[in-house]
This record gives sequence, structure tokens and C-alpha cells, in this order.
Amino acid sequence: MLVIDSVSKSLGEFSLSNVSLSVEDGEYFIVLGPTGAGKTILLETIAGIYSPDTGRILLNGRDITDVPARERNIGMVYQDYMLFPHLTVEANIGFGLRSRRADPAFIRGKVEGSADLLNISHLLHRYPGTLSGGEQQRAAIARALVMEPEALLLDEPLSALDVKTRENLRAELAQIHEATGTTIVHITHNFEEVFDLADRVAIMRGGDVIQVGTPEEIFRRPNSDFVAGFVGVENLLRGTGSPDGTVAVEDLRIRVENGMSGPVSVAIRPEEILLSKKILPENGKNVFSGRVDSVRPNGGLVRVFVDAGVLFKVTLTRQGFEEAGFAPGDAVYLAFRPSAAHVYPSGVQKGA
Amino acid sequence: MSKGNVSRFQMVTIAVALLITAFIVLVLIGVVTHSPLGVLIECLLSEEIQFAVRLSIITSVVSTLLCILVAVPVAYALARYTFPGKSLMNMVMDIPMALPPLVAGVGLLLFFGVSPIGKSLDAMGLVFVFTPLGIIVAQFFVNLPYMLRVTRSTFQGVNPRYEYVAKTLGCTDAQAFWRVTLPMSSNGLLAGSVITWSKGIGEFGAALMLAGATRMKTETLPLSLFLNMSTGKLEYAIAAATILIMISVISLYAFERYGGATHVY
Repeated sequence: MLVIDSVSKSLGEFSLSNVSLSVEDGEYFIVLGPTGAGKTILLETIAGIYSPDTGRILLNGRDITDVPARERNIGMVYQDYMLFPHLTVEANIGFGLRSRRADPAFIRGKVEGSADLLNISHLLHRYPGTLSGGEQQRAAIARALVMEPEALLLDEPLSALDVKTRENLRAELAQIHEATGTTIVHITHNFEEVFDLADRVAIMRGGDVIQVGTPEEIFRRPNSDFVAGFVGVENLLRGTGSPDGTVAVEDLRIRVENGMSGPVSVAIRPEEILLSKKILPENGKNVFSGRVDSVRPNGGLVRVFVDAGVLFKVTLTRQGFEEAGFAPGDAVYLAFRPSAAHVYPSGVQKGA
Repeated sequence: MSKGNVSRFQMVTIAVALLITAFIVLVLIGVVTHSPLGVLIECLLSEEIQFAVRLSIITSVVSTLLCILVAVPVAYALARYTFPGKSLMNMVMDIPMALPPLVAGVGLLLFFGVSPIGKSLDAMGLVFVFTPLGIIVAQFFVNLPYMLRVTRSTFQGVNPRYEYVAKTLGCTDAQAFWRVTLPMSSNGLLAGSVITWSKGIGEFGAALMLAGATRMKTETLPLSLFLNMSTGKLEYAIAAATILIMISVISLYAFERYGGATHVY
């Protein structure tokens, strides 16, 4: 288990403020946040490149706060690979084992095994400069994995790659995690990587951890406007909560599951809203009438904006949209379950 | 009144470039072709010129090695670490480059000739005034800033994350430097060494002040050129100048060739 306990670090314009996280053994943990959120400093502090100003870091029960990077047994992979350009792929992968003065035959065996796992056995004699981005990233991952690290840190490992390579490597990262059981901390600004890979996610902003949970929890129940916006919740309504389990937004009373009093935000995902020209039965749902304001096709999906006193964004499949034939000005009904309306207090945001 | 797409402005600028190129070539060819070939070869093979070549090569190689030895750690500290007084140090270490070499030479002469440090070195048998040792020190003092600048910018060009990765793979700071940063900087260091060496070969002012101009004792190629000019032995001066021109052209080529690749990483 990797425990980051109240770690602060200030480094010029980037900083970490009192970050606490714990990553379970064998967990695939993703740290998600925009550029400048302090994600790379967090990884470099875990790796031992920087020592924290305050706080502790524990790895499998051992306090490693003051242990130098070389003795931590934590692997690091950067977005830009950082393969040593003057060494072949084979020498890059074997670099760490040679630091430990391992037996050459042992090194060869481990390097071949690691290269095999990453499907780069045919590239061992090449120099990094002659490889594609995806091949270089595989070599960089092999170089870290060959050390059998207690934790593997991945700093935006897929961000520099083209779409196709990124998808392949993403699938392979999941397989590698499955095969090796290594504890992985992976940082990214791309929410897509979360659902495929993460057991749990932490959302960071401005050097602060704002929310931690499973991808499903973060996706369904964001705790702030920032997280809601980051995970693509497009309907963020401000209102006043009542103890009876409703929230007043303008003239609408929205029934919600987790009611709270006072100023709140209501987050509703655009794909959770049902849209119809015919009146919809309530059955405990929220049903409102409105007019189609505008329609925006977006690939296989269509976004429909509905004015129901409040502007709602609704996502439909193209097929569903064409069958119903919505056009601007049409009178429509929209409906969503109270459980689709996630409520959190507004105004008192962490990290804002 | 331009013809086709060549403007008058374009023609003027290119013409000036052509003229100045021709001027430089003419000046150099004028030196190299001044003596008849037989006389030139005879002078090149003379004992005096041979001595000057040997002394120049030995002093410049030693001073270049000293520059590398000092510049590598200093440039690394300046490129990688922040510490109090760093910008002041940076400025001070560039001063010898801006200083007229004669002024540097006077300073060195006073330091090694009359200062307590110089006197105690003298007592230990390390005599720099009017000796070949003085030539080495003069070259070192004047040329260190060049080596330092090239080396510093080379180290700055190597992303420190390479070292971070090396450390997570079991390297100490020193091992990360030896196994990663230094090999990745080899082109830049080579280019810096070549330019430092060729400047060392040509060093005149500071060496003249500290080591004096004694025939067959502190007579490097530029000093030989100076001595022979002043005593009217033009053909010997020409021989020394010819060798200096060849060294300059070759080392410039080598610098461009390796220096151009300094920032591949």
C-alpha cells in the first residue's frame, strides 16, 4: 500500500497543498486533473526526486519520506519516454539492473522477459531515436517494469501518442496490470483513460485533491462544479434545497435522491434525460414541459437544448433523434429520475 | 526597376555578402601564398618553427584539458542547481572573456609575481612568470569562459528528467551524471573543447604578459609570429601564420560539425 499523508511541496509556480491519498496493493489508481494541477510534482515526490516540505510517504508500511529515489524501488515513466538516446533499447531496459550490478546472464534474461511482455523483443538492438512514439513508450515501461517496482508511476503515458497507438497501449496497460499485479499510479488529464483502466480515481486541481472514488462514483456523483464539469456533466443547475427532498431551480422543483438544505448545485448528465413529444407519466420522476431551443449534431450523437424555464442539455443517439424528429420550437417533455439528479452544496468548494 | 522577382535590395545585400567573403579569402590567401613554396616548407621545417609548433600544441592541449576539468563540474552546478550568489558567479566567470587579454595578463603577472600566493607557489617550485607554465595558465584563464559557456548550455539542453529516471533505476547523483548526462553531452563537450583548444593555440596577449616572448623558450606560434615580424624575418612569421590559419579553419569546421548537434536531445 502506498500512503501519501498530508504532503505539501512548493516548487515555484507549481505546488501540492496537504495532499493525502492511499493506494491499495495492486490497485490501478488514476490521478486526473488539468495541466498545472500539480500532478507531475506529486509523482516526482512519490518517486523521491523531491522531498516534501511537510508530510510523509509510506510504501508497504515503510516510511520512505527521506529515502533517496534510488533506494525506493518505485518505477517512473514519463509522457516523453525519457529513453537514454545513447543506449540501445536493450541497454535502456537493462540500465537499472546494471546499476544493481546484477549478473549479466540474469540481466539478459530479465530484459528479454520484459521486452516480451511489451512486445518489443524485435527492437532490442535499435536506438530510441529510430523508434515510433508507441515503441518508445513500450521500451520506457519495460525499463521500469524490469526492476519489479513496488509501485509504478506513469506520468501522462498515453498523451504524446496518436489515437490508434493510444488505444492499443491503453488496452496493453490493462493487461500488464492484470499480469503483473503491480500497484500503478497513473496521471492524466484525459477522462477516457479512467473507465478503461482505473480501479479508483483522484481528481486534482491547483495542488489539491478534490475528490477520490471509483470512476462510477466520480462520474455519477461529482462533489463540486469543477469535478462535474471535468467529467462531462453538462447540466449544472444552481438552486435551493429543501428538507422534503426537492431543489428549487428558478420555477422548477426538482425531486432529488440525496436532499439537503440551503444553496446547492444539481448535476444531471445529458444522457440521463428522456425527451418526448408526448406527455410522459411521472411515476416518481421529474417531468417538465419545454420547447426545443436548438439542435447540434455531434458525430453519432445529437445534442438537443431544451428550454423548460431552465436550459437543459439532452444527448440523444442519432437514431433516437431521427425517429422522434425534434426541431427547434417543438413543444416537448423531458423526464429524469431523482437518482439522476446529483446534489452537492454549492459555494463551499474545496480547492476553489 | 527589378528584373523578374529579384529586387534591388536583394541584389545589394547579396553583393555585400559576396564582397566581404572575397575580402576574407583574399587576406588569408595573401598570407599563405606570400612566400614561395620552397621557402615556406623550409621555414616550416626549421628548428624554431618546429619548437613553436610543439610548445603550442603541448600548452594548448594541457590548458584545454584543465578547462574541461574545471568547466564540467562548474557548468553542471550552474546548469542544475540554485544556490546563493549563482548569478554573481555567472557574471564573474564571464569577465575574462570580455577583458582585453593584455589586462588579464597584467593581472596574472601581478598575482603570480608579487602576491603572497604567487610567491609561495614560486617557493614550491611552481614558477609561472616567464615560463611555459605561464603560457598554460594564461590560456586557461582567458579561455575558460568559452568552455564554460558551451558546457553549461549543453547541460541545460539535457532534460533533468533523464537523471530523475536514472535515479529511480538505482543511480546516485554522480552515477546519473556519468552514465546519462555526460554521454548525452559528448557532442557539446567535444565542440567546446575544439573551440577552446583553437583559441588556446592563438592566445597571445595574456601569454605575452605572463610568460614573456623568449625565443625558443616561451615561443608559441603567435609569439613566433610576433618575434619574427619585429626582427624582420618575414618568411618565418609567414610560416607561423600559415599554420595558425590551417588550425583555425579546421577547428572551425569541427566546431560547426559537432556543435551543430549539441541540442539533439
